[in-house]
Amino acid sequence: MIKHFLSLEWKQFFRASYFQKGIAIKILLFFGAIYFGGAAIFLGIGVFFILKKAVPDVDPIIMFNNFLIYWFLFDLALRFFMQQLPVMNIKPLMTIPIKRNTVIHYLLGKTALSFFNFLPLFIFLPFSIVLLVHGYPVLNVLTWLISIMVLTLSINFINFLINKNNTFFYIILGVLAVFIGLEIYQVFKISEPLGVAFNALYNQPYLVVIPVLLMYGLYRKNFSDIKHGFYLDGTISKKAEKVSNIDLTWMNRFGSIAVFLKNDVRLILRNARPKQVLMMSFLFLFYGLIFYTQETYQKMPAFLAFASMFVTGGFLMTFGQLVPSWDSEYYKLLMSQNIPYKKYLESKWYLMVVAVGISFILSTPYLYFGWKIFGMITAGALFNIGLNSFITLFGGALNRVPIELNVKAKAFSNTNGFNPTQMLIALPKLGLPMLLFYIPYKLVNFEVGLIVLALSGVLGIVFRNFFLSKIESLYQKGKYKTIAAFSEKN
Amino acid sequence: MITTSNLSKKYNDNVVLNIESLEIPKGQSFGLVGNNGAGKTTYFSLLLDLIQPTTGYIKNNDIHVHESEDWKPFTSSFIDESFLIGYLTAEEYFYFIGELRNQNKADVDALVSQFEDFFHGEILNQKKYLRDLSKGNQKKAGIVGALIGNPEVIILDEPFANLDPTTQIRLKQIIKDLAESKGVTVLISSHDLMHVTDVCERIVVLEKGEIVKDLETNAATLKELETHFAN
Repeated sequence: MIKHFLSLEWKQFFRASYFQKGIAIKILLFFGAIYFGGAAIFLGIGVFFILKKAVPDVDPIIMFNNFLIYWFLFDLALRFFMQQLPVMNIKPLMTIPIKRNTVIHYLLGKTALSFFNFLPLFIFLPFSIVLLVHGYPVLNVLTWLISIMVLTLSINFINFLINKNNTFFYIILGVLAVFIGLEIYQVFKISEPLGVAFNALYNQPYLVVIPVLLMYGLYRKNFSDIKHGFYLDGTISKKAEKVSNIDLTWMNRFGSIAVFLKNDVRLILRNARPKQVLMMSFLFLFYGLIFYTQETYQKMPAFLAFASMFVTGGFLMTFGQLVPSWDSEYYKLLMSQNIPYKKYLESKWYLMVVAVGISFILSTPYLYFGWKIFGMITAGALFNIGLNSFITLFGGALNRVPIELNVKAKAFSNTNGFNPTQMLIALPKLGLPMLLFYIPYKLVNFEVGLIVLALSGVLGIVFRNFFLSKIESLYQKGKYKTIAAFSEKN
Repeated sequence: MITTSNLSKKYNDNVVLNIESLEIPKGQSFGLVGNNGAGKTTYFSLLLDLIQPTTGYIKNNDIHVHESEDWKPFTSSFIDESFLIGYLTAEEYFYFIGELRNQNKADVDALVSQFEDFFHGEILNQKKYLRDLSKGNQKKAGIVGALIGNPEVIILDEPFANLDPTTQIRLKQIIKDLAESKGVTVLISSHDLMHVTDVCERIVVLEKGEIVKDLETNAATLKELETHFAN
C-alpha cells in the first residue's frame, strides 16, 4: 500500500508547479540550497572552535547543551510559521479499501521527511564529527546526536498538535522573548537547568530512551487525534472560519480608491498567506539592529543607508513584489469589471505608503542610536515611498505566479516571485539608495547625502502620475498573459 | 447589440472557435449550447476580452471589445468561481461590485432584496466567507453580483449547473424578466436543453467551434435539439 502512496507523492512532487520552472530558477535554487546547506555545515564545524575560544574554561559540549533549548524553541516557532499540516488529499482515500491506520501512519510518517527535520542534521552532524575527531567518547556523542534528532522529530509532532491555535504561537514567542531577556539581564538563566538535562543526555547514553518515549507518546497522540477526526467534517477538513467583521466605512474618505483599499485590508486580515507576509515585514523593523550596533558599519555609511531603507520598507517589498498575484484568484473578475487600472494600482501604492508610514512611526526607538541614524531612516522612508514603491510595482507587473491566498507558503517551495526578472528588479531596490546616498556623501558630506536620498523620494512622489501610467501600460500589455497564467491552478 | 465578425481563436494549429458572423440584437435572450469543447466559454471569454482573438472582432454596442474598455460599464458577467472574491462575505462582495459600478449601498440593498426568494435564506446574513459556501450558493451569489448596476449586457456561463431545482426555476424567471421587461441582452450557455429552450428566444448550437444551428425558439425546438445531440 505504502508503495502506491509513495508513487502518488512522487508524482505530486515532480509535477508541482515549482518544478516546471525555468532552468535559470532551478540553478538559482540549487545554488541557494548549496549556500545555505554549506553555511549550516560550516556553522556546525565552527561552533566547537568558537565556543572553545569564547569560553575556554568550559567544555564546548556543555556550553552547546546549555543553549540548546533556544534552538528548539526557535525551531518550534519557525515550524509554526512555515510548516503546513500534513493534509494529504484525503478525500479520495476514504472510500477505497485501505485501512484507516495505514493512511494515518503514512500521513504522519511523511512529515518526518520534512525539510525542517533535516535542517538540524546539517548543523548537529558536523558538530558531532568534530567532537569525535577531538576524541570525545563515541557512544556518548552518537546517543546524544540520536537524542537531538529524536527531539527534533518530537518538535515536529508537537507542532501539529498546537498548530491549530494561533495563541500557542504567541505564547512560544513570548516565552522565548522572556527567557532571552532574563538570560541577558542575568536574572534567571533557564539555560542552566535545561542545560543540565541536555548534558545528562550526553553523559548517560542510556537516557536516550527518554526522548524516544517522548516522541512515541507524541506520535500516538497525533495518531489518535487524526483517527478521531478522520471524517470529512473532522480534523482533516478545513474549517469554515468565523467572519471577522471590521467596520471600514471610515476608509471611504480616500475617495475613488477607497473601494480597492477596503478590499486590500480585508485581503490581508482574512487570508493566511498575506498574514504571513505581514508578520515577516514586521521583522524587517529589527533589521537596523544588526547594522547600527556593529562598529564596523559605522564607518560604512552606505551600508547604513541600505539598512535604513530596509527598516521601513519591509511590507512594501514583501507585499509589493507580489502585487497582481494577490488578486490572482479573482483576476478575471477584475479584468471584466468596470475598473480603471490606474485606480487599482494607486490603491496598492497608498497601501504601501501607509505601511511605510506605520513602520516609520514604529521605528522611532531608533532615536536611541542618535539623530544621524534616525535621519537616515527618515530619508530611507521617503525613498521607499517615492521610488522604491514604483520599482516594486514595476517588478510585480512582470510576475505572473498565481497565489493561493489562504494557504501558508511552504519553506523552499515558496518560489513565487522568485524569478530572474525579480532578481534584476531587486538590484535597483537595494543599490539605488546606497548610490543616492553614497555619491553626494563622498563628494560633499553626510547631510547632503541624506538630503539627496530624501529628495529622490520626494521627486518620485511629485511624478507619481507619470510612474503610475508607465506601470499601467505595462500591465495592459501583459493582460492576456497574466490572465492565462493566473487561471492555471497549481 | 453584439456583433461578431470573422472571429476565430486558434491554439497552435488547433482551431477552437470560428464564427463567421453572429448578430445578437438588443434585448434578446440568447442561448449557447454545445458539448464540452464546443467553444462556448471561449466565445464568452473573447466577448469579455479575457483572451485575444486570432482573427476578427466582437463589437459590443459598437465598441470593439479588444480595442477599448468602454464596454465595461454596461456589461457584466459571471463565468466561473474566479469571478468571486473568496474572502468576502456575500454582502461585502455585492457592495464591492456596486461601488465599482457606481451604485451606493442603498441601491445595492434595494436590488439584492428583490432576490431574497432566489437566495432561499442561504446567502445573506450568513456570517460566512464566499469561499466557505457550497458550490450552488456561490453560484447564486455570483449570478446576483452580475445583475448589480443596471447592466445592458449580462453574460452567464452555465448558470443552471449546481443549482437546486427550486433555484433553477426561480433563475429562469429572473432571466426572462430581464430580457422581456428591462430590455437587457442576456447571453447564457447551458448543457440543459430544457432550461435553455424555456428561457431563450434564440438558441445557437456550437460544434467544434462552428455554428451548426441557429434556431428561433418555438414548441418544436426542444425536440430538434434533442435529436441533434442524440446523434
